[in-house]
Amino acid sequence: MNQDEALVRAVRLCKRFGGITAVDAFDFSVRQGELVALIGPNGSGKTTLVNMLTGHLNPESGEIFLRGRRVNGLPSFEFAALGVGRTFQMSQPFRRLSVLENMLVPGLTRPRSTREATAACARVHLKFLGLAHLETLAARNLSGGQQKLLELGRALMLEPLIVFLDEPFAGVHPTLRSEIIERILELNASGRTFVVVDHDMEAIQRLAGRLVVMARGRLIADGPPDRVREDQAVLAAYAGV
Amino acid sequence: MRHLHVYAVVLLVAFALVYARVVNAYWIHVAIVSMIYGILAASWALLAGYVGQFSFAHMAFASLGGYTSALLVQWYSVAVPLGMAAGLVLSALFGSLIGWVCLRMRGPYLAIFTLAFSEIVRIVLLSEHQVTSGPAGLRVAPLLQTPSRVPYYYVALGLLALCLTVMGLVVHSRWGLFFRAVREDEEAAGASGVNVVRAKILAFAVASGFAGLAGAFYAHYIGILTPELGSSDQMGLVVAMAVIGGLERLPAAVGGAIGVETLQEVLRSYGPWRFVLFGALLLLTMRFFRNGLLAPAWQRLLEARPVGSVLTSSREVRKGHRA
Repeated sequence: MNQDEALVRAVRLCKRFGGITAVDAFDFSVRQGELVALIGPNGSGKTTLVNMLTGHLNPESGEIFLRGRRVNGLPSFEFAALGVGRTFQMSQPFRRLSVLENMLVPGLTRPRSTREATAACARVHLKFLGLAHLETLAARNLSGGQQKLLELGRALMLEPLIVFLDEPFAGVHPTLRSEIIERILELNASGRTFVVVDHDMEAIQRLAGRLVVMARGRLIADGPPDRVREDQAVLAAYAGV
Repeated sequence: MRHLHVYAVVLLVAFALVYARVVNAYWIHVAIVSMIYGILAASWALLAGYVGQFSFAHMAFASLGGYTSALLVQWYSVAVPLGMAAGLVLSALFGSLIGWVCLRMRGPYLAIFTLAFSEIVRIVLLSEHQVTSGPAGLRVAPLLQTPSRVPYYYVALGLLALCLTVMGLVVHSRWGLFFRAVREDEEAAGASGVNVVRAKILAFAVASGFAGLAGAFYAHYIGILTPELGSSDQMGLVVAMAVIGGLERLPAAVGGAIGVETLQEVLRSYGPWRFVLFGALLLLTMRFFRNGLLAPAWQRLLEARPVGSVLTSSREVRKGHRA
């Protein structure tokens, strides 16, 4: 890939926790409009990587570029301002805020935003996500799947260039999972870029045109799903060999 | 019916305006002290209830405001209102500093840190008796040259209204929403684009500034200032007032302050036993009424709508749930 085309590019990223190397000299890039799945066994460093690419963790070494601009060391709110949205492995809605207020928080951080225009935009997204009828409900009263959808909506309120979804299907009922997949595909079709981290291979197959596989903090495969599935290193990593 | 809370506020204001004309000097004094505690409880509620920052240095900022104003007036003959403004500004600056230092502290760590800061301030004020007169108390120039308490009553009422208005504007602005987002989840707030550092420092500055103003007014009203203003007993009292009223509604915290202070006076003949009653009331509130005793009533008042529209909206919500 031409490096100038990359929307997000990570160069030899490293992160250690004590004696454990969570992410080890990891190179990674995503183009505008791609839908990339990031997979790997538990503890392979996927969430740590996402945390670094969204400003929630500082890498010990390596560099992160967003549209060619070096963004290492910026706090998470500046990543958000630059158009990097994310959801969390365990849903983290603002529990005692209503569904609409959850959506207003990111919307009102946008420059020159007004409450009326932001609320109107939030309602459009809530309708798209099937949460419009719940806008006055406290987020803590939503089901697990609805909370995942709300987090996606919150990320969309940032008008993001790219959205990192960390395990969006974990603990979600199959019906709602299909709904989340449909929404992600529709958003991707309209040009939105996604990186999806998950273990649900069926969902990943339906979603992603490109699989990136991590094991022990390293990149072990990157390519179309069919090719990656046959990769011996991937099979070995999942078999624990 | 649609604006029930507006009528309630108008009634309360009318009552407050005539109160000083119909009661004796003792009850005017009780009301003035209640309103000072009202400012302290509401500003602490802003920090604890809206941002989730349980700081126990609030009364230390009240002390700082009081001593700053008193000493400026004494040493440099500054006009008392200017001294009070200086007390507000200095407390806000120290509050911002504490907010910045405590950025990564939460829960018990923040509580212990701010408690330690509060004790440092109290002990310094106690020890530097050449400047502060220590436990004997610093004589403070009065705000108004009058023996009557009535003018003080109206100044206290004005200050309470001013503080509530400014804090109300803050909590109803986008920053109020960001405060609550930070309270709920700092990590998710950051991911949503909220500058968590700025939100916390702003909240500390506003809350500490108003604590400083309350302390300064208290000093110039009572006429004597001791380091005990910043004691943990006083801090506990303000916490009890805010919790009993309701942490997440500023008017409810003020109601808690007025209620507790008035009860303190009504039950004075019971001596220390009245504090046992307040302790029990605090425990019951924490156990059974997490939103305080007054906040739910205030919330109901705010949401009061014509009967027809209430039925329609609740039917819509139920319909939504089924869908």
